[in-house]
Amino acid sequence: MRVTQNMLSNQMLRNLSSNYGKLDQYLEQLHTGKKVRRPSDNPVVAMKGMGYRAEVSKIEQFKNNASEADNWFENTDEALDKMTKALHRIYDLAVQGSTGSYNEEDRINMMSEVKQLKEHVIDIANTSVGGKYIFNGRQTDQPPVNKDGSFNNLYNNDSVMIEVAPGTKLAVNAIPNRVFNADNNDLFSTIDRFITALENSDQAQINESIGDIQTHTDQVVNARADIGARMNRLELIIDRLDHQEVVAKKMMSDNEDVDYEEVITDLITQESILRASLAAGSRTIQPTLLDFLR
Amino acid sequence: MSTFHGLEMAKRALFTQQSAIHTTGHNISNANTKGYSRQRVNFETTTPYPVPGRNQPQIPGQIGTGVQAGSVERIRTQYLDEQYRSENSKSSYWHTTSDALERMESLMNEPSKNGLAHTMNQFWDALQVLANNPENEGARSVVARRGEAVADTFNYISNTLRSIRSDIDYQIDVTVQNANSLIDRIHKINEQIQEIEPHGYLANDLYDERDRLIDELSSIVNIEVSYRKSASSSKDIADGIVTIELVDDHGSPFEPTVKLVDGTAGAMTVEHLTYSKGEPSTVSVGDIQLPYSENNGSLNALVHAYGFEENGELKGLYPGMLAEMDKLANVFITEFNAIHRNGFDITGNPGQAFFTGTNAGDIAVRDAILTNPDLIAAASEANLVGDGSNASNLSDLLDQPINSALGQSTSINGFYRALIGQMGVKAEKANAMSANTDISKTQIENQRLSVSSVSLDEEIANLIKFQHAYNAAARNMTVVDELIDRIINGMGIVGR
Repeated sequence: MRVTQNMLSNQMLRNLSSNYGKLDQYLEQLHTGKKVRRPSDNPVVAMKGMGYRAEVSKIEQFKNNASEADNWFENTDEALDKMTKALHRIYDLAVQGSTGSYNEEDRINMMSEVKQLKEHVIDIANTSVGGKYIFNGRQTDQPPVNKDGSFNNLYNNDSVMIEVAPGTKLAVNAIPNRVFNADNNDLFSTIDRFITALENSDQAQINESIGDIQTHTDQVVNARADIGARMNRLELIIDRLDHQEVVAKKMMSDNEDVDYEEVITDLITQESILRASLAAGSRTIQPTLLDFLR
Repeated sequence: MSTFHGLEMAKRALFTQQSAIHTTGHNISNANTKGYSRQRVNFETTTPYPVPGRNQPQIPGQIGTGVQAGSVERIRTQYLDEQYRSENSKSSYWHTTSDALERMESLMNEPSKNGLAHTMNQFWDALQVLANNPENEGARSVVARRGEAVADTFNYISNTLRSIRSDIDYQIDVTVQNANSLIDRIHKINEQIQEIEPHGYLANDLYDERDRLIDELSSIVNIEVSYRKSASSSKDIADGIVTIELVDDHGSPFEPTVKLVDGTAGAMTVEHLTYSKGEPSTVSVGDIQLPYSENNGSLNALVHAYGFEENGELKGLYPGMLAEMDKLANVFITEFNAIHRNGFDITGNPGQAFFTGTNAGDIAVRDAILTNPDLIAAASEANLVGDGSNASNLSDLLDQPINSALGQSTSINGFYRALIGQMGVKAEKANAMSANTDISKTQIENQRLSVSSVSLDEEIANLIKFQHAYNAAARNMTVVDELIDRIINGMGIVGR
């Protein structure tokens, strides 16, 4: 084949340009750390990449949701703990008041303590965290109990659900009825009856209150146990989310991140190829026959 | 045999070698001229003496009478031109398509932190936060704003797709004008050649110019070139007059034929391409409406990218993407609003539309929601401020397989991912085809250069060769001169 200077220089330019093109590709991979710049570089990797991104972002949000749920549990648990303590004190007072060794004056004193405890219990029932009343179901903007111990008109018994994993919704509140109501008696009227009994020094009524208060205390303890069980489940879910996050990020990285050792090696190889082609080109396009004619 | 025979022969040699030296000079001058083919002078011997006849002189044999320049010919192979043009057509189709898709890809910008997919993910996050904190004013504002970001991204994609599409429309117009100008210039050259060739000349430089223009035309549409002898007096090696016909993918002409440049005897006319602006703009030539080919010519590629009507439907790369985005936006708006209407806002009123609009171009968050995010229907039950279950339902929509215009059991995000995947596959194919056709085009181009391009070394060697011959002819003339001198001045003076 006849080869002319023009062909040589065209060929050299084409090769140089394709060498620079490859160099640019490796440099871009190093700069961005990604294998693909646009979907056409590798449609499969790009599509998978979009999927993994969505998954990672979801898992991150589910983790946020889980810590939100954890917040509910912690606060509910704390409130129920305080409520149990208050009920224990009321129970102690009831047991004391039922014995004959106390006189009416003592019982009036007990009564004022029980009144204070009742307000304390009402305060606990109206616990609000970040502007949400945690013992009023989904009606979180209203306190469940009025100042006098009667229930709010907007008293609500729904479960508050938080999605902690795809399709897994966890109830994060204690159902108010399961805390405040037992055997058709509500906690506050039980305490009220106990107060009246103390006021009247009615020992029989006080004895009856002992049982009622015990029932309510059990109720609160059960509710707390229920929250504890759900906290355990949440911990398992958080563990799983953590694990999933690691796996999803690893898959995303495997899918689209460059292998630096490989790219750097490629880059260096490409660099030496470019140097070689520049050197070869400069030798072939310079001389003509004229250089050798005298 | 005259005494002056030698003088005449030496003179012919001088002239002929000189013409070869000039032609070599022309070659060197045009070594870097685009489309130039090297030329050579075809030397031929002149008629020897004597020619047979009744009155032929009785001498021992025919004596040569020297050299003459028979013709000046360009070195070129026509079938390589044909191959080049066919590859050029394909290469420029894929090159143009790959450019158009590259613009689309950089617009969609996936996978990245700026594309629609990311905006959708953020919207989902915001809805989840709202589901957990429905009474929170901040969570509501974030949903409204992220919803706006989703709408804005849709608008941006739709608007930019449209503006790129009108760019392509403009490009089509310019390309048609360019093609028509090429056709006119080829026709002009045809006419010039028609005047030159019958005199027995070869219009080498006009042939080169014409071939270069035809090469350019072949990148716009695929063509078939045929030649006609310009006149009976023209040389046999003359190229003649070209006729350029539009051909289909298989290289066969259309019925009726479309002759862009008609060089048939007595006709000598042109057929222009017509661009008519409209919605959509169209290009036609003769009875042919573009695009007529899926892998030939940049004009077909442009029309494919821009869009064309087929059975009353608008098809093409950009209209296709726009239609898919509109469909996606429409289903998203309808389904999202349907769920939103099932819920209740913070004051217990049933939810109204969250998004307004019907397609990717006009999707927007309803103004009332932007000014008052309390109108977002996060609750499934009226007057339950702490109920975020409808927000949760809204967030589920994005990844839930639903039956809609998008397909059976297709989720909104899934559809979008598939859309990006399809675009990626198309662009990947176009890039690969563009690279492949480029390689075969380059290969043929190289073969053509191998035949036609000027080699300076060769020209210099020729120059030296012709110079030597010229010098020798001059010496020959000196010898003959001395012979005549001897006859005139040295003879008839015997014994003086």
